[in-house]
Amino acid sequence: MKRILWTSMLASISLLCSLQGMAQIALIANPGVKASSMSKKDVADVFTGRSTVLPGGSQVAPVLLKSGAVHEAFLLEFIGKSDATYRQLWRSLVFSGQADMPKSLDSDSAVVGFVAHTPGSIGYIGASSPHEGVKVLAIK
Amino acid sequence: MKRLWIGTMALTLMSVFAVAQSLDDLNIQIHGYATQGFLYSSQNNVLTTNSSDGSPAWTEAVVNISAHPIPKLRVGAQVRYFLLGNLGNAITLDWAQAEYKVNNRFGVRFGKVKTPTGLFNEIQDIDSSYMWSLLPQGIYPIVSRNSLLSHTGGVVYGTLKLGTSGGELDYRAFGGERELAADDGYFIGLRESGIAFPNGVNGAVLGGTLKWNTPVNGLMVGASDLRDTLWSATMTDANSITVPGLGTLSGPFNGTYMLQPLDVPFYFGRYEKNKVSITGEWARLPFSGTLNVVVPALVPFGIPYLQTPFRADQRAWYGMASYKVTSKMQFGMYHSQSVNHQAVLGPSRYSKDWVLSARYDMNEFVYAKAEQHFLDGTEIGYDANANPGGINPSTRLTILKLGVSF
Repeated sequence: MKRILWTSMLASISLLCSLQGMAQIALIANPGVKASSMSKKDVADVFTGRSTVLPGGSQVAPVLLKSGAVHEAFLLEFIGKSDATYRQLWRSLVFSGQADMPKSLDSDSAVVGFVAHTPGSIGYIGASSPHEGVKVLAIK
Repeated sequence: MKRLWIGTMALTLMSVFAVAQSLDDLNIQIHGYATQGFLYSSQNNVLTTNSSDGSPAWTEAVVNISAHPIPKLRVGAQVRYFLLGNLGNAITLDWAQAEYKVNNRFGVRFGKVKTPTGLFNEIQDIDSSYMWSLLPQGIYPIVSRNSLLSHTGGVVYGTLKLGTSGGELDYRAFGGERELAADDGYFIGLRESGIAFPNGVNGAVLGGTLKWNTPVNGLMVGASDLRDTLWSATMTDANSITVPGLGTLSGPFNGTYMLQPLDVPFYFGRYEKNKVSITGEWARLPFSGTLNVVVPALVPFGIPYLQTPFRADQRAWYGMASYKVTSKMQFGMYHSQSVNHQAVLGPSRYSKDWVLSARYDMNEFVYAKAEQHFLDGTEIGYDANANPGGINPSTRLTILKLGVSF
């Protein structure tokens, strides 16, 4: 009985941390992108170069943050890799001719500005950051 | 064939630039990387370097440019400078291609394109994309890397979803022409014995790769197959030939190298979870053919050429594991084996390698690697000219590497 309770507590804490991570991040897209939500798998596929088309047919290109807490939280929550390993993955695609390197920007405001004015772009910022001119995608 | 592809590429590039309103429309990107390696070995010199004295003769630099003028079309090219011991020391074209991606399920690349076989072939020359200094040489021999990396032709690719619980299937199919340059590492032994291929060796190639990203998170298994058709090439033989009744006939002699059609299968799998990565692969390279040397003095006697058959059946595998200690530091090890089942018994028939490796990413741009190899057997990576005193059956090889990419 104690073991069941302990396991349930651990599972709840784990779920809470996961939701907490997602709550810290807002996924944003250019208003021209048709989708209003994405699954975690879709997010991972786009931001690892496996997918360039969302369900619904919108052609998308990812935009990254160069560093920081939001960037680290995004990698932990959606990609499951460290920043170094993540950039190794993109280099393998770029230098083998399979993809372009996604743009990396310094701040949430820079990401918002780029996404707002670049058709098909999709990025991530802190959930509390201003995001005028872009649409926020729900994570399902 | 090559000229047709290059001509098509040039036309595509010109039309792209003609349509673009400005450079911004083209979304041009330029990237590059450079690595400098240092090798030190005991017992033998390896990979055509003077590694027993410590050798810095391992340098690579790459620059690529790409343009993305419309969402589904991408064009680009990459050039490389490669030096390893006596190999390379030249600037070559890695790839130059146009790519049109219809959707996630179907895309096509044509031009000089990377050949998608095995787990590492497309990226084996991209040092910054993995932690190892030297990949398992039985399957990814660095002395022949330039010839194995790419072909002139096309690749079709895509990802197919297998229902809600079947995972995804990545597929690649390719075809075209592949060339082994005259100075390719495959021919080191032949060159040192006086045989040369002035125009290299080339022929048609086709094949495919399937990678199943299974429903088990982090687990991928796959297979590749590569097929070469009958290849032939002109050759020269600088050796003298002794014929009873005619004495010693001095070369060089001309002739033909014939490589029979071959089939190269690969099977591989990888599991990645959190900080751990485990990978394994097996491949087989069986080949046979003949060296046909024309000796003019023998032709009147009804001997159009002297034929020497050759045969090999190389089977290689490796298992590797790595662990990310911190966000910047990785440790790993692998064991690889390669055996030529057609070779005579002895150390030259096999190569066995235990490897310990580490990688440290200083920042986004700069990294360092250190690797220790414990090699037994001399099937791969040794040549007589670099080891005039003979080749010892075991070698210990230390590699240090520094890399920068942008």
